[in-house]
Amino acid sequence: MTNVIRDIIHKKEIVVCAGSGGVGKTTTAAAIALQAAIEGKKVAVLTIDPAKRLASSLGLKELSGEPSKVSPRKFTVAGLDPKGELYAMMLDTKSTFDKVVTRYAPTPEQAERIIANRFYRNISSTLSGTQEYMAMEKLYELHTDGGYDLIVIDTPPTRNALDFLDAPKRMTDFFESRVLRWFLLPYMKGAGGFMKVANVAATTFLRVVKKIVGAEVLEDTAEFFGNLEGMYEGFKQRARDVAALLKSDLTSFVVVTSPALDSVAEATFFAARLNESGLPFGALVVNRVHPHFGDDIAVKARQITRLEKGTAEDRLLAKLLDNHEAFMRVVRLEERNLEALARKVPRHRWARVPYLEQEAVDFSGLVAISDQLFAG
Amino acid sequence: MLVEEFLAPKILIVSGKGGVGKTTVSAALALVAARRGRKVCIAEVDRKGTLPRLFGGRELGYEPGQIAPGVWGMNIVPEQALGEYLEVQYHMKRVSKVFSSTHFVDYITTAAPGLKDILVLGKIWYLEQGKQGGRASQDFDTIVVDAPAAGHMLTFLSAPMGLSDALRLGPVRRQSDWLVEMLRDPKRSRVHLVTLAEEMPVSETLETAEALRTKVGLDPGAVFANAVYQELLKKEDEETLERVMADENPRELRTRAAEVSLRLDKEDLGALVGYARFLEARREIQAKHLRALRTGVEDPVIELPFLFSAGLALPDIETLADVMEEKVDSL
Repeated sequence: MTNVIRDIIHKKEIVVCAGSGGVGKTTTAAAIALQAAIEGKKVAVLTIDPAKRLASSLGLKELSGEPSKVSPRKFTVAGLDPKGELYAMMLDTKSTFDKVVTRYAPTPEQAERIIANRFYRNISSTLSGTQEYMAMEKLYELHTDGGYDLIVIDTPPTRNALDFLDAPKRMTDFFESRVLRWFLLPYMKGAGGFMKVANVAATTFLRVVKKIVGAEVLEDTAEFFGNLEGMYEGFKQRARDVAALLKSDLTSFVVVTSPALDSVAEATFFAARLNESGLPFGALVVNRVHPHFGDDIAVKARQITRLEKGTAEDRLLAKLLDNHEAFMRVVRLEERNLEALARKVPRHRWARVPYLEQEAVDFSGLVAISDQLFAG
Repeated sequence: MLVEEFLAPKILIVSGKGGVGKTTVSAALALVAARRGRKVCIAEVDRKGTLPRLFGGRELGYEPGQIAPGVWGMNIVPEQALGEYLEVQYHMKRVSKVFSSTHFVDYITTAAPGLKDILVLGKIWYLEQGKQGGRASQDFDTIVVDAPAAGHMLTFLSAPMGLSDALRLGPVRRQSDWLVEMLRDPKRSRVHLVTLAEEMPVSETLETAEALRTKVGLDPGAVFANAVYQELLKKEDEETLERVMADENPRELRTRAAEVSLRLDKEDLGALVGYARFLEARREIQAKHLRALRTGVEDPVIELPFLFSAGLALPDIETLADVMEEKVDSL
């Protein structure tokens, strides 16, 4: 039987790693990309927020927001001979957004006006969903113009692993919001007269908001929305294209989880949600699984107590038995959580990565993770 | 340090990167306070977290609701905090549907960055003052804030200090001054950080602790290092193990086991030693990061044990509360 992840890297062009925070998404994305490069692909890994040492082990010390090639020497030192090439980058939300604006603005002047606008500048750092949206945008751009065989993308550490699925729509809806246009109407150029038709509640409210954020801010935002006029269709078309790409058979979603209860619940929910949304689920990576050594040893507390009172060997044995029992308890609980998961996602779609005796913070650690992911 | 002293500030803000067990630590801290007869409120910030599951599945609302003896729980949703703010400050009793829409809240928080965080902190301030919607409300002795994940957390706590241009000129200015006072007064509030003994959480904790000092102007209280594997084998045990394992088929251990009528085969022994070795390997990794943590922060580091589980429940939180009491006492 071939390995489920290997199957994906050879058949697909895009791998999206998703899952809740703290389960090793970034590492998994990097490990998948690494192996793909070894097996001959020209591959780019797009990370969102890599650990410093992981970033520097990929040669990402200087983050430019564009892919840079991981030195082949890294591979040679690790005793590897890659047939392909590995590129890595970190998402730069602001510059990606600027590019989008420049692309859809009818004139360069209009793009400049938008980019210089204060409300716009706040968007990339403040508006929720922006990072997710831009991750998808960058993915699309790399896929269309990058010339890569495979792109592996890590998703932002959101509260909810599904947020990024809704992000593009959330953003375009926001830009087109009728509530906001109606509310900002009095500030729109040449629309002063409309103030009269706004109802009393709106004017009271406007006064309060003006008091809180100041008139200047209202003018800024009205100018922003005004400048955005005529660009919505472009945004929406792009969002549709991105959605279509994600739904196509070029893409595969890899859901990353740990065997802990909360993250298993999230992974189950996520896999179901992918299905509902018509997005291609590819594989499940179960990270951080405690290793399973031997079988249960039936020990009675009485026996342990007796050993604890005995010789050095007895005491050692008591400790070893206690420790074994504790780990077996974890293994059983993890297995129970995973059993529930297996009812939703069949095990042949899984790759398991046990807790390793080294960390994936350097290149060789990454190679070790990769070996586990692609084992079998 | 006495536990009482640790619990002296009314507001205990618990923060850390996602996935490090912030909610667990918040819950344990709440139990410690409740055990001392305090009336405690745990406030989650804008999330549907694990807290309700820990306390028997009751959903948390914007109004504090009792979830355990002496413990109340609530979820501070920025949208609702905005509504409450408008009601209290501007007597806008019934905010129309239009303005409580997500788009509007998104708009106003984008137009005035930091406002969302100020509203949430403002809600905590209200709680501290024993107020709700401008009226007197139930008074808590301890308010544990399960704060947003680090990174975001710095923005969260520094929002009242680094007011955006938009807010500096408005009425929020005065209110944020109150929040700054509240945050900088260690008698009123304390920020505790949670981390795992892993590379990324530790480095983020170090950065956060430093930034709290320099940017926010407050000293973090303690750093909780969560899920630390405890020592199993002492040096003498190691020596004994080495000696008995020199025998390929460790007869001695099997004999000892047989003495207490325990039959161990070769595979059993392999598993016993396997887990001991695994634990040592994990401990070595953790020790390295704990050293970095202790070198990097001036604040006391409180280690909480790894609990052999795969999803914590209330009894586990009780255990952590026990450890917390003991460790705080010996600080």
